[in-house]
Amino acid sequence: MTVSMADRPPTQADVGPGSVISVRGLSKHFPIKEGVLQRVTGHVRAVDGVDLDIRPGETIGLVGESGCGKTTLGRCIGGLMPPTSGGVYFGLPEPTRRRLDELLALDDRRTPADEEELAGIVRRHRIDAMDKERWRIYRRNCQMVFQDSFSSLNPRHLVKEIVGRPLELHRLATGAALIERVVELLESVGLGSQHLYRYPHQFSGGQRQRISIARALALEPEFIILDEPTSALDVSVQAQILNLLHDLQDQHGLTYLFISHDLNVVRYMSDRIVVMYVGEVCETSRSEPLFEEMLHPYTEALVAANPGSHGSERHATVRLAGAVPDPANPPAGCRFHTRCHRATRDCGWEVDDIIRHLELQGLLDGLTDITRTRGAAQLAFRTPEDARAAAEGMHAPSVPSVLRAAMSDVHIDGSRVELAFQPPVRVSLEEVRPGHLTSCLLYTSQGVQMRSERLGRKPLSPA
Amino acid sequence: MHALRVRLRRLARLSRAVLRNPSASAGLVVIVLMLLMAVFAPLLVEANTPDPYQMPRDWAAINAPPGTPGHPLGTTPEGGDVLYGIVWGSRLSVRLALTVASITLAVGITLGSLAGSIGGRWDEYIMRVVDVFMSIPELILALAIAGILGPSFRNIILALAVVGWTQYARVIRGEILKVKQKEYVDSARIIGETPLRVYLRNVLPNSLTPIIVIATLDMGKIVLVGATLSFIGLAETGLAEWGNVVSAGQQGVVAGRWWVATFGGAMVFLWALAFNMLGDGLRDVLDPRVEGR
Amino acid sequence: MSHTGPTTATLPVTEPGDRTAPLLSLRDLRVHFRTERGVVHAVDGVNLDIADGETVGLVGETGSGKTVTARSLIRLLPSPPAIYVGGQALFRPRTACGQCAGSGCAKCHGAGYVPEPCQVCAGAGCEGCQHTGRHTLDMLKVSGRVLRTIRGNNIAMIFQDPNKALNPNLSVRKQLAEVFSEHRAGELLRDAGLEHEAGALLRRSASGRSSFLERRTLDLGPLRSRHRRLEAVIDEHIAGALADTHVPNPKKIMHRFPHELSGGMKQRVMIALALACGPDLLIADEPTTALDVTIQARILDLIAELQERRRVAVLYISHDLSIVRQISDRVAVLYAGRLAEVGPTERLFEDPLHPYTRGLLAAIPAFGQRRGELVPIEGTVPELVDPPPCCRFHSRCPHAAPACRHVEPELHARPSIQSHEAACFLYEQADALGVDARDMPSMGESGPPAPRVGEPSADEEP
Repeated sequence: MTVSMADRPPTQADVGPGSVISVRGLSKHFPIKEGVLQRVTGHVRAVDGVDLDIRPGETIGLVGESGCGKTTLGRCIGGLMPPTSGGVYFGLPEPTRRRLDELLALDDRRTPADEEELAGIVRRHRIDAMDKERWRIYRRNCQMVFQDSFSSLNPRHLVKEIVGRPLELHRLATGAALIERVVELLESVGLGSQHLYRYPHQFSGGQRQRISIARALALEPEFIILDEPTSALDVSVQAQILNLLHDLQDQHGLTYLFISHDLNVVRYMSDRIVVMYVGEVCETSRSEPLFEEMLHPYTEALVAANPGSHGSERHATVRLAGAVPDPANPPAGCRFHTRCHRATRDCGWEVDDIIRHLELQGLLDGLTDITRTRGAAQLAFRTPEDARAAAEGMHAPSVPSVLRAAMSDVHIDGSRVELAFQPPVRVSLEEVRPGHLTSCLLYTSQGVQMRSERLGRKPLSPA
Repeated sequence: MHALRVRLRRLARLSRAVLRNPSASAGLVVIVLMLLMAVFAPLLVEANTPDPYQMPRDWAAINAPPGTPGHPLGTTPEGGDVLYGIVWGSRLSVRLALTVASITLAVGITLGSLAGSIGGRWDEYIMRVVDVFMSIPELILALAIAGILGPSFRNIILALAVVGWTQYARVIRGEILKVKQKEYVDSARIIGETPLRVYLRNVLPNSLTPIIVIATLDMGKIVLVGATLSFIGLAETGLAEWGNVVSAGQQGVVAGRWWVATFGGAMVFLWALAFNMLGDGLRDVLDPRVEGR
Repeated sequence: MSHTGPTTATLPVTEPGDRTAPLLSLRDLRVHFRTERGVVHAVDGVNLDIADGETVGLVGETGSGKTVTARSLIRLLPSPPAIYVGGQALFRPRTACGQCAGSGCAKCHGAGYVPEPCQVCAGAGCEGCQHTGRHTLDMLKVSGRVLRTIRGNNIAMIFQDPNKALNPNLSVRKQLAEVFSEHRAGELLRDAGLEHEAGALLRRSASGRSSFLERRTLDLGPLRSRHRRLEAVIDEHIAGALADTHVPNPKKIMHRFPHELSGGMKQRVMIALALACGPDLLIADEPTTALDVTIQARILDLIAELQERRRVAVLYISHDLSIVRQISDRVAVLYAGRLAEVGPTERLFEDPLHPYTRGLLAAIPAFGQRRGELVPIEGTVPELVDPPPCCRFHSRCPHAAPACRHVEPELHARPSIQSHEAACFLYEQADALGVDARDMPSMGESGPPAPRVGEPSADEEP
């Protein structure tokens, strides 16, 4: 849920261009089925509550590492996957967009009239609730270019068929007119009529990507999702494709969602950047302000790890420990806290975190059972010695001090160790600078409040 | 138009590649000869009346060896002309192979496609049905059908068709699951193709390659099994069919009357061998690693 | 090459980075591939030196021949399609330092290893060792047995896909044990205190050559406790190797199988495997390309750290110029099977000589670069089937001139800076080549050629 500046009196900004795409509370969970009876034992939470606005004419860069959910999010926005919850809204005029946010914020306080208004907006703009006519308009205006140029083109179709099919399907051209239009499209991406009757395998990677782009342009869309379009290409070819995308955007007034794991390319191409980690957005802002003042430790880590950021110096300023968490069982609170170099004790530490450290120290061999309640946990061991060793291990220097500080009431009861944790909070994106949102508790008012409450002082204004 | 020409050229290139394989071309030659024999059967050997598929009995010349006037390949213990059995038997073999293949391909591809494309519960149910049918031995089923409906060639076709579709269902389901992951399927969906069109234009054509090879090999196997079934007596007596011919001659082999069983068996063998060689040749050419050259 | 026994050489120990007696010298390396389309000249005359302890970055795009170069110097290419046409890959191994027996001292600059002296001239310098005084082997010509001794022990390789290097059916411990046993059997026995009492059975166990029956005998028979001591020593070494690569909880990870480990962890295991025997040269073939950027950073840190500590020379192959810039001492740019430019890292990046290097640098979106300033290199890599004698880059070069189309340029250093070489006629004199001055390229050419996309061709890396 985005905390926006909607409570201010209306300004010039409210009379805005609206959004091509607005994502609200989007989640996509994949069930994990195990066993003979294929019972659902859990969910991979690929995308977990994402809000996003894509304005006309801009390029949004969606960046993150593997497992962050950016590809899944892209596919949900493209209408290829129905969301588990939340919605993708297409073509919201600015006043409607604001109204939608107000209505969503009301939650269960909505009146029947509100509900009907909301239902109306949903019916007109949410892509999984639209009628056929609107869906066609959405379909024509939202296209996609995929990463693997080899498997994104049907190996049995000729280029003419690949690029011409959208025109055929939507009855935009037939016969000679179709061929003419296809040639036009091919020429606009740097290919020509000599390529019409060839198969994909006869082209290089860069050329195949051009064919994909030509196909995406066939329906003259407003908005194109580019899912790692240049990741599989050589540097020199990548530059050609990026330039092409640029030119096309200028010529046709396109809006792009540019998904990539390469920070350099994202920074180069995007007006605004969205950084994702394990299914959530951790920071978003216009490109330059994001790098001038990084308001999330994960963004800092990404920049530090990016080989292109620093020229010839190795900036070992930030190095992340551990591996990316399992999206089926993500850490509580801020999902990044397990690897964060600036974590505080409020960031969502709980039993699983100390368990992991004990395992690293090899102290869990005697563990028999774990009982969790909200804010507390009990670890049962086989012998009191095991319990004692574990309790000592919890204070070992290898355990981060913030984790040690986050635990309280650690005591041994026979062969059980009991401890208490602060119940983890749900972090959310907050606009901490104009146009710059972050979910990091170091900067958000939520975090400031938690710290001052703990220290017994009155809440201060955000840092 | 131009598109058609390019496609035909590609087909020609693939065919040439197949023909370059000597065993595949040999197999193809044999198959063509057998087909010609089947088509022109009435011209080669005059049709019997009233039923051309019954071997004409020449009671005056039973157990005649090859070379006997009027019976170039000899006769069976009932005076049935072996040459007649061979030539008209090819018709039955062609019919058997084509009929069973059509039915099994149609049923197998449909059910396999449903299982692979829709997934979920459909997949579960259909695959369980496949498991059941796959466990039925053709022999026992054929015996059962013959027992209930009486021995006839049509029942042999039935028995083989009932059991033979499962392999196609399995294979195409596997291929579809692989192809579904490909991004060109998503591309088709995103330009607005209906799910059926996505399947017909993108998924199915790219899943058929292994099916082609299996079907070719299967044509050989069908006749082999069919001949076996008619050999054990599940077809009409006196039928001009290769297995039947072998059956008629089996007793005589011990007594030195080799010609009936040998000629009958040789036809079955040649047919199966030819299709096997062609199938292998096709497999080499259609290997996805090589495809795309 | 054994790493036991003191050296009797009078050879002065090579300073790290000493270029006079390089660890590895590639001389006119030529490797071709027989394909349906003809003979592809994948690597066509590469000259490259790597000094002890130096990191050389080999940069190139698809089809440049960088992987073929790396694999050919340990003969890791399947030989029917690959043809070793010519050239030499001269390797000068090191041996354990006599003074400190491998633990590091002043004499060996802490590396624990010194160059092995030439067997012919005992370090004085002769024809056979190219007057370097070091034992020299031509990797392209040594016997299979020598090759196998060198591989793993003196030259190790890590790959892009750890799944290719790790056997999915063996636990981590078994695989590391294999490496130790293969090359360090003597050391293992010594550390277990079994040096003098080990019979054939134990020796074979240490070298990993026991049969099933022998292993059972050792486990159950009178040699049980000694065998267990040996196994314990092996475990120690393995845990140590894993700890060196910062694998958490090595004792536990040891017993895992590759599929139970994450990508970064597998990469570390592969690095541990490679460095287990203290090689002189580590060939890293795009080891981090498939990893997330944060994990990649840590692996690069690790390689740098291990290199520092063990003084291993590294040949780092990548298409990513930014990575290469961060970790290399020198950079070699490969294009279409030939070196376009070689030089010290910073010099190359600040003052790129070859138009291809310039083109590459202009085509990378640098951090903070404004939109619209990316200058791509137009055209595509040429087919390498029977290439004519010409500069291979001329069809895409903004400065191309008639000379470039008819003569093949060689690597040439500018008079003032010896270590920075480029294969381009921009830096050569017409009369030295015997070419008309008007046919030579010059810097003052107007702009890049009209954008061409090139003919459709499936150019894949051989």
